Amino acid sequence: MTAETKTALLTRFQLATFLEAVRLVDEGIASARDIDIAMRAGAGLVVGPLEWADTTGLDVIVQQLEQMQEIIGERFKPPASLLTKVARGQLGRSTGQGYMAYHGS
Amino acid sequence: MYVKKIAVVGAGTMGADICYTIATRGIPVVLRDVDEAQLTRAKKHIQELFDGRVGTNKMTLADAQDRMGFITFSSRLEDLDGVTLAIEAVTEQIRVKEAVFRELDQTLSSMALIVSNTSALSISHLAEVTGRPDRVAGMHFFYPAHMMKLVEVIAGDQSSDETIDTVMRLAEEIRKIPVRVKECPGFVVNRVLMASMAEVLRFKEEHDIAAAEIDQAITEAKIAPMGPFFLADALGLDVAYEVAQYLTQALGARFRPSDELKNMVAEGHLGMKTGHGFYSY
Repeated sequence: MTAETKTALLTRFQLATFLEAVRLVDEGIASARDIDIAMRAGAGLVVGPLEWADTTGLDVIVQQLEQMQEIIGERFKPPASLLTKVARGQLGRSTGQGYMAYHGS
Repeated sequence: MYVKKIAVVGAGTMGADICYTIATRGIPVVLRDVDEAQLTRAKKHIQELFDGRVGTNKMTLADAQDRMGFITFSSRLEDLDGVTLAIEAVTEQIRVKEAVFRELDQTLSSMALIVSNTSALSISHLAEVTGRPDRVAGMHFFYPAHMMKLVEVIAGDQSSDETIDTVMRLAEEIRKIPVRVKECPGFVVNRVLMASMAEVLRFKEEHDIAAAEIDQAITEAKIAPMGPFFLADALGLDVAYEVAQYLTQALGARFRPSDELKNMVAEGHLGMKTGHGFYSY
């Protein structure tokens, strides 16, 4: 597998994981924090999908999703709740607020 | 509510592991099964788990014997006397679970809670076969239940806040990490895992790359402890296919299993249990 294909794979895997986690938040099934705890304690993920997105930067995630939406299809369309956060300047860890709140450094 | 005595109904591996976890914390627990042979196997399995703890110096022999003493292995309904919370862990068939819920509803005190370890069936539906729908919830353990920390605590349509609080506290008391989840197909973990698995299955088909290579890329990037293909083989490809179809119907095409998975199941290649799946064993 080329480096480029590997990057495409990892991005797609992580974005699919993130998108399903966002749907759970949007549907009110569980809180962002609890979803991350569940994916770490129940599936062994090193970082929860929402913390991963908050750390990557939600503006960057939107760009990646838009690219994937174009290449792969509508299932990668950025969710409305994500676009709202970015529009409000809540870009994740760097701004102190994303899917979760970050205090201190 | 204070949980004084617990019943685990269904002495398969899941039920036995849950029972062991509860007894380890010094809570009286009845492991119930109608099949005496199953109870005998469960007792042997639990004894081995305690022996393992003693063998690795994690527990003294005296403590292990003491904790084993908290378990009653029983096929008799009379032994459920005094139980304040029952965990149903029988096979994932709705008719079987309904029968267990009805029996528990008739047997236990009207104050007792009844929870299901189901990973897919409706808690709200199971609640409705009882006369205490507010005292029914889901308590979804992960395999192997004595090692995996997570418990998804599922609220059905009618579960009371007190019921959910009690189940959350009990999960913590047996040293688990509980998260509150509202009922939905797949709950949290399986829903997210199956969504990403379906995506990676599509990636494999599009790029014609070996399963092992994809798994390796994901584990090397330290995203997940095992790749989706290894996980599917461990779960059983028939189970993975069935869950994927169920989630596709319930939630949409993003869960649709690839033709490759469908064909492997049709050919009887079900993963580890048949020796052949995405990998050979």
